[in-house]
Amino acid sequence: MSAQHQEEATPHVGEHAADVEHASEGFDAGATIIEHVTNSSLEHPLVHLEPIAGIDLSVTKHVMMMWLVAGLLFVVITMVTRAYLNQDRRVPSGFMNGLEWLVQSIRDSVVLPNVGAKYVNTWTPLLLTMFVFILAANIVGLIPMFEALGLVDRFVLGNGHDAESLINGVLHGGTTVTANYNVTAALATITFFAIIIAGTMAHGFVKHWKNLVPSGLAKPIYVLLIPIEIMGMFVKPFALTMRLAANMTGGHIAILSILSLVFLFTEMFESAAVGMGVGVAMSLPLAVGISALEIIVVMVQAYVFTLLTSVFIGMAINVHH
Amino acid sequence: MPDPSDHFLARSFSALQENLRRSGPAASVGYTLIGAILLLGGLGHLVDRWAATATPWFLLTGMLLGLVVGFYELAKTIWKK
Repeated sequence: MSAQHQEEATPHVGEHAADVEHASEGFDAGATIIEHVTNSSLEHPLVHLEPIAGIDLSVTKHVMMMWLVAGLLFVVITMVTRAYLNQDRRVPSGFMNGLEWLVQSIRDSVVLPNVGAKYVNTWTPLLLTMFVFILAANIVGLIPMFEALGLVDRFVLGNGHDAESLINGVLHGGTTVTANYNVTAALATITFFAIIIAGTMAHGFVKHWKNLVPSGLAKPIYVLLIPIEIMGMFVKPFALTMRLAANMTGGHIAILSILSLVFLFTEMFESAAVGMGVGVAMSLPLAVGISALEIIVVMVQAYVFTLLTSVFIGMAINVHH
Repeated sequence: MPDPSDHFLARSFSALQENLRRSGPAASVGYTLIGAILLLGGLGHLVDRWAATATPWFLLTGMLLGLVVGFYELAKTIWKK
C-alpha cells in the first residue's frame, strides 16, 4: 500500500479545515469531523523524520497520543508501585488500592474462568497490560485537553493558527489512538500470536494445530473444515480490531455531528442567535448524554477486548471436543 | 461496619461484569460474522483490483467464503455445550 494510495483514500480534508469555518464557502461539517477523528496527514506530521528503509516514521497526531498514553501509564504506575514497595507497612492506600483491586479483579474474574488455574499467572500480565493500555487510551481520547489548550493558545495568547510549528500541530486536537485501525490491528496481532503461543505451551506445537479442528470426523469433511478453521483464525483478531476502533470512532463522530448542528443552523438562518439557541436547547444536552454514554463504552470496550482475548487463549488451552 | 460488597455500586458492578462475561462469546461471534465477510470480501476486492478483472469474481467468492466462515464460527459458539 503506497503513500500515493493512502493519499487517494483519505479525502483532502487538509490541515486548514478549521479555516473553512471562517471562510465565505461555509461550514463543512464532514471535513471538520473527519479531520478530528483521523490521523494527521503524512504530508504534515507533527515531527518530520527521514524515511527509514522506505517507511515514513514521522510522528503524527496518533503516534504522539500513543506515546503520551504509554508514557503516562509507565510513569504513574511505576511511581505508585515503587512508593508502595518502599512503604514500611505493606497496606495499600489510595491509588495503589485501586490498582490492586483492578489487577485482582482482572485476574480472578476475567483470566481465571477462561484460561484456567494452571496458566492464569502466565497470561494475566499480558491481558492486564492490554486492558490498562486500552482503557487509558480510550479515556485520554475522551478528554478534550488539547482542544482546551488550543482555545487558550488561540484566544488568550492570541497566536495565529497557521504557523507550521510543533506546538500548533499538537494543539490541533488530541484523538483517541484506539480509534485508529492500525493501533487496534497491532493489539489484535498480539492476540493472534498469544493464541498460538498459548496452544503451543499447553499442548506442543503440532498438537496445537491438530486441536484447531474437531477430531473423529469423516475424512472428506476435513477438506472443508481445515481451510475454514484457518480463515477463522485470522477473522477473530480482525473482528477484535474492528470492534474496538469502530466503537471508539463512532461515539466521537456522533458528538461532533451533534455539535456541528450549531454552526449549520447559524449558517442556514444567518444568525448566531439561532445557532446558539439550537446549541443550548438541543446540541448541548445531547452531547452531554452521549459523552456520558461514551464513558461506559470506553470501559466496556477495554473490558471486552481483554475478555475476548482471554476467551481465545482459553480456547487454545482448554480444548474439549 | 457493613460489608463493602453489599454496596449497591459493588453489586451493580459485579452484575455488569457477570453479564459481560456471559455475553462475551455472543458479542464476539456477532462481530466475527461481519468481520469475516468484510475481511475476505475486502481481500477479494484487492485481488480483483490487482488482477483488473472485468467481473469482480474474487470479491463475490470472498464474500461467500466470509459468510461460510462467519456462520461456522456462529455454529461453533452455539453448539459448544
